[in-house]
Amino acid sequence: MDLKDIRVAVLRIEGTNCEEESFLAFKRLGADPEMVHLKQLTGDSSHPRKLKDYHALMFPGGFSAGDYVRAGAIFSARIKSSLGRDLVRFVEDGYPVLGICNGFQILVELGLLPGLSGTMTGRAEAVLATNDSNRFECRPTILKHVKRGNRVFTEKMGYGELFTIPSAHAEGKFVLPEDREKEMLEEMVKNDQIVFQYVKPDGTKAEYPFNPNGSILNIAGITNPAGNVMGMMPHPERAFYRSTSPNWTRHPLPLEDFGDGWYIFSSLLNYVSRRF
Amino acid sequence: MNPDHYIKRDVHFPLYDINLLNADDEALQTIADETAAGHDLNEMKRVKEYFTKLGRNPTDVEFQALGQAWSEHSCYKTSKPILKNTIFNIDAPQNILVIKEDAGVLEFDDEHAYVVALESHNHPSAIEPYGGAATGIGGILRDVVWMGAQPVALVDPLFFGSLDYPMDEVPKGVKHPTYLLSGVVDGIRDYGNRVGIPTVAGQVTFHNSYIGNCLVNVGCIGIVEKKHIIRSRVSGPGDVFIYAGGRTGRDGIHGVTFASADLHEESDTESRGAVQLGDPITKEPLIHACLEAVEKGLVSGMKDFGGGGLSSVVGEMALHGGCGCEIELDRVPTKEEGVAPWEIWISESQERMMLAVRPENVEKVLRLFADWDVEAVPIGRSVVGKNITITYCNTKVLELDLEFYTGGPEYDRPYEFAPRDVQERMPEEPADYNEMLLKLLCEENIACKGWVVHQYDHEVRGKTVIKPLQAKLGLEGHGDAAVIKPVENSWKGLAISCDINPRYTLLDPYHGSMCAIDENCRNLVAVGGRPHSFADCLNFGNPENPETLGDFVESTRGLGDVARFLSVPFSSGNVSFYNETLNGPIPPTPTILGIGLVEDIRKCVTSDMKVEDEAVYLVGQTFEEMGGSIYYEIAGGCSGDAPMVDLDNLKNSIEGMLDLIDKELVSAVHDPSEGGLGVALAEMALAGDLGADVDLSALGKMRSDIKLFSESQTRWIVEVRSGKEGTFERVLNSYGLSFLRLGTTGGKNLIIRDGKKELVNLPLKRMREVWEGTLHEKMG
Repeated sequence: MDLKDIRVAVLRIEGTNCEEESFLAFKRLGADPEMVHLKQLTGDSSHPRKLKDYHALMFPGGFSAGDYVRAGAIFSARIKSSLGRDLVRFVEDGYPVLGICNGFQILVELGLLPGLSGTMTGRAEAVLATNDSNRFECRPTILKHVKRGNRVFTEKMGYGELFTIPSAHAEGKFVLPEDREKEMLEEMVKNDQIVFQYVKPDGTKAEYPFNPNGSILNIAGITNPAGNVMGMMPHPERAFYRSTSPNWTRHPLPLEDFGDGWYIFSSLLNYVSRRF
Repeated sequence: MNPDHYIKRDVHFPLYDINLLNADDEALQTIADETAAGHDLNEMKRVKEYFTKLGRNPTDVEFQALGQAWSEHSCYKTSKPILKNTIFNIDAPQNILVIKEDAGVLEFDDEHAYVVALESHNHPSAIEPYGGAATGIGGILRDVVWMGAQPVALVDPLFFGSLDYPMDEVPKGVKHPTYLLSGVVDGIRDYGNRVGIPTVAGQVTFHNSYIGNCLVNVGCIGIVEKKHIIRSRVSGPGDVFIYAGGRTGRDGIHGVTFASADLHEESDTESRGAVQLGDPITKEPLIHACLEAVEKGLVSGMKDFGGGGLSSVVGEMALHGGCGCEIELDRVPTKEEGVAPWEIWISESQERMMLAVRPENVEKVLRLFADWDVEAVPIGRSVVGKNITITYCNTKVLELDLEFYTGGPEYDRPYEFAPRDVQERMPEEPADYNEMLLKLLCEENIACKGWVVHQYDHEVRGKTVIKPLQAKLGLEGHGDAAVIKPVENSWKGLAISCDINPRYTLLDPYHGSMCAIDENCRNLVAVGGRPHSFADCLNFGNPENPETLGDFVESTRGLGDVARFLSVPFSSGNVSFYNETLNGPIPPTPTILGIGLVEDIRKCVTSDMKVEDEAVYLVGQTFEEMGGSIYYEIAGGCSGDAPMVDLDNLKNSIEGMLDLIDKELVSAVHDPSEGGLGVALAEMALAGDLGADVDLSALGKMRSDIKLFSESQTRWIVEVRSGKEGTFERVLNSYGLSFLRLGTTGGKNLIIRDGKKELVNLPLKRMREVWEGTLHEKMG
């Protein structure tokens, strides 16, 4: 389908706060994004919308409903109760679902990620826990792209290439249940679910602060086994252009150029336009 | 409470008449004390006189409302006459609305304006640092939103006692600086990050005169299409007042009168109820809903509930629209049953806005707010005339002439300036300069503020083109100013900086305040921003003390003199008096938020050194100006001479430096401030992970330590692009500016010589350990 016909729902409730820059990322690429309030999808609004009218769904960053219980917990509970079935169908039909930062936390809370035992597992299989530093960490991070195949969100990124995309979160440490950590990780690796790992500028294994949260295996982003649901902690929408990317003053290149975040939005739209 | 003073009305809710008509001076004073409404005796007499003419007593609602409206915090009764003669009325073509509202509005480009507000949240933060700071952020956001603007950046200058202050010497009822800093940063982080506006600039200053009265100043910058600028007034008779946002409760009662009195030992227990409770997750949709209503043209006027709550908002909106108003107070949604009418009227509960809407738009506005899950209720209307009438369950509880109500008193209080008597003492020249520089780098005012800055989301909204921390990936570096690119299809930017050095103003409020403007200009210019407007938050002690008021007059005179000379206007501000500690007033602290306009953000420069073998220059002149310097504080020197600003030189330097940046001749720029040249060079080297070898002999005949650590104003260190040295020097000569070539970048050591004498030779790694480590060590 044509790029301009690709409808992207950027979903929000009170406390999501990265929706405008996320919306702009799709808009700048020529797609047809819309900021949609959860209430619009559940019919409690004077402007109702239906999930099936969109070709991609994005959960932007923020602090949905304050994140007072656990990051993403309230948003996901509300989605599950009102929209669960529509969402499963949406994913199973192959449409891409992208969650960034708080959106990643929501996808994990929903059971869409890592999704080892089904499209949307009844209980969360993992958690994005409080950073090891016990502080909110806003800092540039460097990601190594390690997904080999089925790259719905990263087809324009080479295997092993490094991308500088900033992080900003207090709960970003990807953790699996202790007793099943090893087998689940093995399964995720086998399924080619790990997309991004935090690394040092030279590409070697990251420690704090390059891994800002203490994630196992330096995991920064993963997909579901099918590859069409991706969550990541760093914010590609903040690095859409070079001008908002970290450290551009040290590398005099044209600022009209795209930043490293561009690849993700562009890959996603490419996938939709090819597939649907 | 003396029952003769308060007569209960025969209604089913709490309502009292305050018996002023029969009260003598003593009784008036007692009533003032018992009601905590904040009136002094003169004001009590004025209230009594007004009601004597009406032939009745005021209700508690009326009485409390006047206390709010006439507080220093609300009506600037002391400061206004002084500010009129100092910082107000600086004409500039960019002025759209300056000083007239709580936020200033200035031209950004043909279609857009930017909005700036800065205010204090000192007393609440000293009592309850987390809630105080958080609600400070909430309040300043509303100030920008009610102009119709989208907030794009937050700033937060903070002032505490030393983190090393001995715990057992902290006075009773006072909280230790470590606890305060931690709570305040948590509050700003949790509110600012949640509401999704980047915190991009600020300062953290430590000085023991803030023990017992820390300062938390908060600022916000917004952007608005000119056609959507909204005023805080009704459009005429018949506008409907719509109350929107959070419910009203008993939190934040007497916030403004609390802000207009000294803190004392029992403030903690007595005044906790004056600290409001913030809720960023109500605020965030409230902002969206208000801005959407503005964009759709449904709103005639809008104002936030700040100090004084409803009582301040409604009257002013009506009066400024040339109207009176009628309010049904029982329609205001409350957090609990049984909140008395006077409490509803003056509560400072957070996350509330007032909209004035034409009757035909009311339904549309209510539906829009419902879609955002934000409560919105019509509570009254504007009417012909000049009276404000409030009913509660059909009983009239307030009826006042609006001009009397909002026309607070103005005082010409006595003031005198007391020049400081400082014994000059030059410290011994350091035997070991390496050791001295390391001492400076771990001094808490100079040490890296990464611990604070990384906790604030400074990139949300994806428009922060120059970040507050500027360094090679993974390292730390203090930038001079941050830059936001607020408009999608424009390369124009807003540079943002905050500064005041209270060590200078303590010695010399006039010249010290000039330095605050100078440093803001230096910071803005360093990234490529042309100084365009200032906002001020004037934090001082008790103005009833003539010497404190003398400092205030001197300080604002200094601010006004520089800004007027540069034709850069003050757009908005706030006065915070009564910042007193057990040891007297805080240092004069006129916090300045500087906004610079960047023509093309692609030319912005950062402070980190970048390329091996590039020339390092110093632009500006260095004098023996050691008063208030961190070096003297550490080395045991004393001087009364705060640095001075040469106005002509400042003006020319701004032009010259901007020209250099525009011509793309420079790789890095940083201004020396606390710790002088030594610290500034170290910061640039640490941020870029690139050493330098420089020689100070060309600075003249001063002692080496003075050359290295003097805090003279209007100076920049510049790394010049390879091969551009000639053009660089020609440009500076054409502006008649002084400059010196200091040396060259390179290596992993910072080497500083004075002729044949090698003063400093330190590996970057060693400097980084102390500079980056200090705050982490102290804060955990």
